[in-house]
Amino acid sequence: MSLDTPLLSLLLGLAAILAFAGANGIVLVWVERKVAGRCQRRPGPLHVGPYGLLQPLADALKLISKQLITPRRSDRLLYWGAPLLSFMPVPICFLPLPFLPEMATVRLNLGLILILSFIGLNSISLCLAGLGSNNKWSLLGAARAIAQTVSFEIPLLLAALTAVFMAGSMDLHEVMAAQGPWPWQWFGFMNPLALLLFLISAVAETNRAPFDLPEAESELTAGFHTEYSGMGFGIFFLAEYAYILIICGVAAALFLGGQQGPVAPGPWWFLAKMYALVLLVIQLRWTLPRVRFDQLLNLCWRWMTPAALLNILATMLVMLALKGA
Amino acid sequence: MNSAAHIVYVFHLLVILAGGLVATRAVQKDRALVGLITAMFGVAGMYLLMNAPYLALMQLMIYAGAVGVLIFFAVMFTRPAQGQEERGRYLKRPLMAVAAGLLPAATLAAGAFLFIRQAKAQAPEIPVVQLGAGLLGRYALAFELISVVLFAAMAGGVLLGFERRRRR
Repeated sequence: MSLDTPLLSLLLGLAAILAFAGANGIVLVWVERKVAGRCQRRPGPLHVGPYGLLQPLADALKLISKQLITPRRSDRLLYWGAPLLSFMPVPICFLPLPFLPEMATVRLNLGLILILSFIGLNSISLCLAGLGSNNKWSLLGAARAIAQTVSFEIPLLLAALTAVFMAGSMDLHEVMAAQGPWPWQWFGFMNPLALLLFLISAVAETNRAPFDLPEAESELTAGFHTEYSGMGFGIFFLAEYAYILIICGVAAALFLGGQQGPVAPGPWWFLAKMYALVLLVIQLRWTLPRVRFDQLLNLCWRWMTPAALLNILATMLVMLALKGA
Repeated sequence: MNSAAHIVYVFHLLVILAGGLVATRAVQKDRALVGLITAMFGVAGMYLLMNAPYLALMQLMIYAGAVGVLIFFAVMFTRPAQGQEERGRYLKRPLMAVAAGLLPAATLAAGAFLFIRQAKAQAPEIPVVQLGAGLLGRYALAFELISVVLFAAMAGGVLLGFERRRRR
């Protein structure tokens, strides 16, 4: 059997994506803990392996070996379906990301829409977890997750649309190609408001602090995943890191030029930008305190949505003016 | 259509039917909603089969993503206490479901047979630019009418909410 068989290449690609997502989950847990430590003026994990590098492996081993408990009177189907559904869109979302120069796993002219529509499915899985757990904390966490994701999806989409307008395409490769190698030729530099709005909404969409209200430990124990033990929680966790990667990758491609760079343009630039954004997201979590829920919704509906609308209008006007000139 | 397309078609059809059945037959509302979302996935698959990927993704984003999640919100807050779910045999419900499904199906089939003489073997993919021009040009009125329907539904929801509050 040659490598050209579509089924085989599909399977290989899927395996590669899953391995990438899993490996990133493990590495990012370590980074997260180290950053948390440094932000709180302590060294972070130290004892398992050199620099505590094996800590996430030990954590993973612990999660895998834990007993899976289904709470009594919970809805078994929804309860165990939720973590699976939360991870299912991940491989699809990785497909259009411009990792490699030409191959790029799959080239789709609607790549951006594909990612954004499948990321939205994550909120359904949070709902299922909240409803299936038969637990008040989970239910409240799910209710918060819905209000939050439904609200922040709007500025997220509008900010992404500005970059799409500027490039004239929804293919992430073409958006990248429309930007130049130098930072001032990137859409994030030309339109910093869109980048800012996109990043804030991205943090809110992935339920990360300071917008981690759906799981708010000090208020809701663990929110929607209160009842989950072992890998039930582990899969949610893995999916969360995968979504951070995906959304940072989208931001890097849309606003930071993706593979474009001053010297030697190539996939490494994309990876470097993506990981820089991931680091920023991680650092934000340990720097900023959690916002209150009304503050969160006010931020979205009173400031970010109007700002995103005005920004899109201004972008269109500038583009029309440039076209006319 | 080749045989692979037939298989995919049947698969999507089964997904839609199964989702619809769960949506109408489930006792718990949350399970019914999961059925509904499953059916929406099937519909998105049908769009993909018709070579309309943009429509398929919008179906997922708007119906499965946003509308489904909003219905979840409603279900969550109207949930009966544990053990107080409505139980019983609904004889009328499947009949009504069949009627509700047959009416649009018959209308669509009649329209399709009357106005479209020949189905295309393979539909061309229409670029997004053309779709946008169509929605803001030729089909602008239809597009805006949909939003009026949505507005009416929303206003009705708010009105019902107020009504219920007054009765308490």
